[in-house]
Amino acid sequence: MTDSANIIEVNNLKKAYGNNVVLKDVSFTVKKSEKVVLIGPSGGGKSTLLRCLNRLEGDYSGEVRFENEDLMNAGKEKLYQLRQKMGMVFQQFNLFPHKTVLENITFAPIKLKLASSEAAKQQAEQLLEQVGLAEKAAAYPQSLSGGQQQRVAIARALAMNPEVMLFDEPTSALDPEMVGDVLTVMEQLAANGMTMIIVTHEMAFAQNVADKVLFMDQGQIADSGSAEHIFKSTTNPRTKEFLSKVM
Amino acid sequence: MFGFLKQYYPVFIEGTAQTILISIIGILIGILLGLVFVLMRQSKLKVLEYLARIYIAIVRGTPAMIQVMLIYYTLSKVISVPQIQFLGSGLDRVIPGSIALGINSGAYTAEIFRSGIISISRGQTEAGLSLGLSEKTTMFSIVLPQAVRNILPALGNEFISLVKESSVLFYIGVQEVTAQALGVGGTLYNFVPPLIVAAIIYFVLTFILSQLMQLAEKKMGKKYLQNN
Repeated sequence: MTDSANIIEVNNLKKAYGNNVVLKDVSFTVKKSEKVVLIGPSGGGKSTLLRCLNRLEGDYSGEVRFENEDLMNAGKEKLYQLRQKMGMVFQQFNLFPHKTVLENITFAPIKLKLASSEAAKQQAEQLLEQVGLAEKAAAYPQSLSGGQQQRVAIARALAMNPEVMLFDEPTSALDPEMVGDVLTVMEQLAANGMTMIIVTHEMAFAQNVADKVLFMDQGQIADSGSAEHIFKSTTNPRTKEFLSKVM
Repeated sequence: MFGFLKQYYPVFIEGTAQTILISIIGILIGILLGLVFVLMRQSKLKVLEYLARIYIAIVRGTPAMIQVMLIYYTLSKVISVPQIQFLGSGLDRVIPGSIALGINSGAYTAEIFRSGIISISRGQTEAGLSLGLSEKTTMFSIVLPQAVRNILPALGNEFISLVKESSVLFYIGVQEVTAQALGVGGTLYNFVPPLIVAAIIYFVLTFILSQLMQLAEKKMGKKYLQNN
């Protein structure tokens, strides 16, 4: 059942808040360097699913495996280690406002003793270069635009040298003119072979980047396949209806 | 009217020093207990949460004067502090007294800390956890530093009321400012002037404290609230 080529395996995942079932029996796999895009109507369970992958949402039934480790049964220390390898980017950026841009990026690697402060600083400067914000190292997040903050957040996640990057609607809170910069950074990441799981409403981006698209509706993967299949040739009426509304 | 000060000013200085001393100890113990109890209050372990709730409820629901007396009379039976005189009072009274002040303040401080922690969005914790930081590191390095900035005004209030409330230690014989003023009043057969002097001393102390708090607010806020 476990295939070593799969970096993430989700088996029969179920999650409910009280009587409200948000995920009913979800299964899928992600291969190394694969780009999986989750689309679907709001409330369909996309974000919850993503957040189960690094156990920000616990108390689910079923199984999430990352690099063949069962997340639900991982002890605390193990869980922390696994999370280090799964970068996450949030809709609301969630930068640390009391730290400079540079400190935001270097904080975790230094704190977790993964790098000396000198090495962490160098890496952070490189990452800022990569996301086009080299000149903002000393600024505080509040002084940056949303798009800039989100690019810093991506750099912060990358500073942990993750195996996988999880994106939870990374452009949904941005002004339209900021979206492009963030998507460009994500496209570069994709081109460099990063394994990515992305919840997004940016259909053109999804079509462009995805190796696999999962259409989620009412807590289930209602449709899945290549971007070509989902956007061009699917016969699933719900997928078609959704796409006709958003594209 | 204040001619008596010529003779009695050392008494007031001693009392002021005593008030400052017990206030500082009280504040420090209060911060420490506040931190411990807010972490208990937020804990997933129900036992800890309820212990913290009970502590807060009891301290907030009973008069400080009774708490101080209860703690003093209980402690003096359990441990014997040598009756060394310090600033005009026995340490056997000063120590339980300032502990009592700290225990009282801790309940309020815990609630203030809690309001600060609630004010920090859940996203900050999630960002910390998603980087592989432990809950503890996330709390102490990410959430609390931001929470403290948000609660500085409320903390300032608490410290100021503690300085004033420290006068309850008069009831267990700690010679702080109020006690000294009453003593002087007794010998003069006139309580009003020494009590006015005591009031002025409290006012000056709390005024200085509030200025210090404002300075701290400015210093912590400047870092990240202004643009650039």
